[in-house]
Amino acid sequence: MSLLEVDRLSVSLGNARGQFTVLHELTFRLEPGQVLGLVGESGAGKSMIGRTIAQLLPPKFSVSNGTLVFDGHDMLGIDPDRRRAMLGRDIAFIPQEPLAALNPVLTIGQQIREHLDHIARGKGRQPVTDWRATAIEVLTAAHLNDPAGILGKYPHQLSGGMCQRILIAMAFLSRPKLLIADEPTTALDVSVQARIIDLINEMRKAYGTAVIFITHDLRLARQICDEVLVLYAGRQVEFGPGPEVFDRPAHPYTRALQLAIPPGMTESRGLFTLPDRMPGLMALKDLTGCRFAARCPVASPKCHTHAPPDIEVTPGHLSLCHSPEKTGTITPPPAPAHRHRDPDSPVLFTARDLSRHYVTRQRLLRRPETFAAVRAASLDLAEGEFLGVVGESGSGKSTLARLLVGLEAPTSGRMTLLGRDVSGEDAETAAFRRANVQMVFQDPQSALNPRRRVGEIVTQAMEVMQSSAADRATRAAELLSEIGLSPEMAARYPSQMSGGQKQRVNIARALCNVPRLLIADEIVSGLDVSVQAQLLELLLRLRQERALSIILISHDLSVVRYLCDRVLVMYRGDVVESGEVDTVFADPQAEYTRKLLAAMPGEVALA
Amino acid sequence: MTFLPIWLRNTRSIVGLSLLLIVCGAALLAPLIAPHDPNEQDLLNTLLPPVWAEGGDAVYPFGTDSLGRDILSRLLFGARVAMTVAITASFGAMLLGGILAHVAGYFGGWVDWLIGRVIDVWLSFPPVVLSLILMVGLGSGLQNVILAIILVDWTRFCRVLRAEVMIVRRRDYVAAARLLGFSHIRTIAREVLPATLPLLITLMSLEMGVAVVVEAILSFAGMSVGTNVPAWGQMISDARQDIYISPWSLLLPAFAVFITVFGFNLLGDGLRRSLDTRLTQTERA
Repeated sequence: MSLLEVDRLSVSLGNARGQFTVLHELTFRLEPGQVLGLVGESGAGKSMIGRTIAQLLPPKFSVSNGTLVFDGHDMLGIDPDRRRAMLGRDIAFIPQEPLAALNPVLTIGQQIREHLDHIARGKGRQPVTDWRATAIEVLTAAHLNDPAGILGKYPHQLSGGMCQRILIAMAFLSRPKLLIADEPTTALDVSVQARIIDLINEMRKAYGTAVIFITHDLRLARQICDEVLVLYAGRQVEFGPGPEVFDRPAHPYTRALQLAIPPGMTESRGLFTLPDRMPGLMALKDLTGCRFAARCPVASPKCHTHAPPDIEVTPGHLSLCHSPEKTGTITPPPAPAHRHRDPDSPVLFTARDLSRHYVTRQRLLRRPETFAAVRAASLDLAEGEFLGVVGESGSGKSTLARLLVGLEAPTSGRMTLLGRDVSGEDAETAAFRRANVQMVFQDPQSALNPRRRVGEIVTQAMEVMQSSAADRATRAAELLSEIGLSPEMAARYPSQMSGGQKQRVNIARALCNVPRLLIADEIVSGLDVSVQAQLLELLLRLRQERALSIILISHDLSVVRYLCDRVLVMYRGDVVESGEVDTVFADPQAEYTRKLLAAMPGEVALA
Repeated sequence: MTFLPIWLRNTRSIVGLSLLLIVCGAALLAPLIAPHDPNEQDLLNTLLPPVWAEGGDAVYPFGTDSLGRDILSRLLFGARVAMTVAITASFGAMLLGGILAHVAGYFGGWVDWLIGRVIDVWLSFPPVVLSLILMVGLGSGLQNVILAIILVDWTRFCRVLRAEVMIVRRRDYVAAARLLGFSHIRTIAREVLPATLPLLITLMSLEMGVAVVVEAILSFAGMSVGTNVPAWGQMISDARQDIYISPWSLLLPAFAVFITVFGFNLLGDGLRRSLDTRLTQTERA
């Protein structure tokens, strides 16, 4: 008998407008020690499985069909007390946001102890007396330095990666039979990601735990999963062994997801972008044909009218498609050419020895203690050039962005823009800089005023110039169509848009006054790969049409390698390496650059 | 209830607002609907009980006080004083506290430090003692009551709003507005204020209730309007000696204060529930 047997499980949402299927007849088995990947865009229903097992479905969602048997227990009909005892003991969870999952007012030690007590109670034993020793043991196993010190610390004193490792250590404390990891690395730096994946793998092998690994990154799933289940709009569209699904996808959707990932080191191709986005549940209710047909590049008329069959392409490899053989015909566009610096091309922007110090402690009659977020950073940028700034969190790349755009004043250093010195703070310089340099912020949630309509947001720059309402409406329509949104969107509020659409609005606002240089701070992190691909293509198109220069700040090396001509590597406030992307990535000089490159996920070339 | 604006789609707001509309109506229409002149004395009919109690007289529906003045008329005219103070004092306190809160929360640094310390000092005085001291210094009179309430209660607004401004200030859209050339004042007015406005309105509604109580206390102590102007606190004070003979003349003005404050608090609570984004977001999610 398998550890977990899910048979024709359906979850539906019942509200005033009727019944909608969120998960449709999902069937799979999981053996001890196996890793199953659940892959799909946001909204595909990936997280519903974990929530069903824990009986933590959102309000108005319910299991409408099927069975879910874990270790011989029917998890849907089980007594709530018994289920609660099993959760956290036999079934452990690793969340997406490590900082949100830890209690901010308790020390790590207290939280581990509480968890140990819960486990002991579940097994009917006395609470552990030597919890300290156990805690230190598991933290050491999770490769955390100074475990004894960590026990006394609060979550906010630790980095995201450390918190995630603590949560993994806690999850494995009870030697669980099943671990559910919901996007455990999405919120983390690439360099940390690799270590987290290794750690999960290591622990899984040590305890024979089965893992359900939920992710939107197909490449990550290939690395760690024995089997991969690709979900689209609540339906399994492809299922098979991990490497097989990634290397020889048999469903157009899987192929599209695969080609939306920026290419690895050894290959050269463009990104394949799916049009639009996954339709909402309501739109799919009365659909008779294939759910993917509307976005499918190889759809035939039959796809729109007839539901596709589940075809076994090779033994153990299923595809929900009328013609899985057509998948291979989807080919990526050619790679965008990196521009090599032409010595005659006019220089747009230069920065020399920029530094920014923060006072960390002010003491009477003594020199204040300072912390250098950026130390002597220099860069120059030609017109139409894309420069990538990479580094892990805390490397000073966001501070550098704020210095370049003028949100913060440098402690020392000089900057020139179009040959003019812009280091000063006076109104005239600020206006000149504003007209030519704009910033796209990282988190669209925080960057768009929730109380303004999209049309108002994108033309915000015109507000100062006393433009008429009609002028603004025209400009808003122009900007929206330029970034690939329909002009009707102008009447919406940001909360009525998806993450990718919000990020487009964010870009449109910066473009309003036709700047020469755009500073983009982690604008694609945290988005689905398909949305990320759309945004990257948008930036390339903008360069084509407007000769725009971009400084792209990112922790994702593959994005920088794909998009940028030159790269700047930062480590703890210092620029450790810079140069043309191809040269730096092929032959890194600095120790840190080599480490970063080694941590890049999935050295897998595509067929 | 979809035809109502969002801040009214809430039983609390509707009940609170209805109570207040009745009180406001009474205040505005007092000269028209009051059956007697509020200061007219009928010394033959002193301490009459209300019409529903034994010995009541239909000429004086709510009875009379120790000088034979009509209680209903005095209540209606008293609402004028109460509402004047409630509106002007809370508006003044909101203006002073709100402006300082936005300045402190937006600019931070030493400005914030200075305003924060002033609030600390201010709050270390008990509010009633502080207002009595102010009244002694300023002298009695309606304007001075209003001034005293403003000077005592601006800190309520300032402290709560400052925290809210600091949260909004950290949002990227505020930085974006600056990058697009917005001046500080325009940034505050167009980006920060709309986010703090719901809290401001809610606080103001609660503050109006507080102002009514403070005015009643001060007029009870004889420090508010002169004796020729009827006020609820004064009526309670006048009725104090005859409480055993005629409890109604004390209970009725106390009830008027209660209804008004209750209305403001209900409205404030209802507004908070429907306007506070943190509450509405969790409901909608």
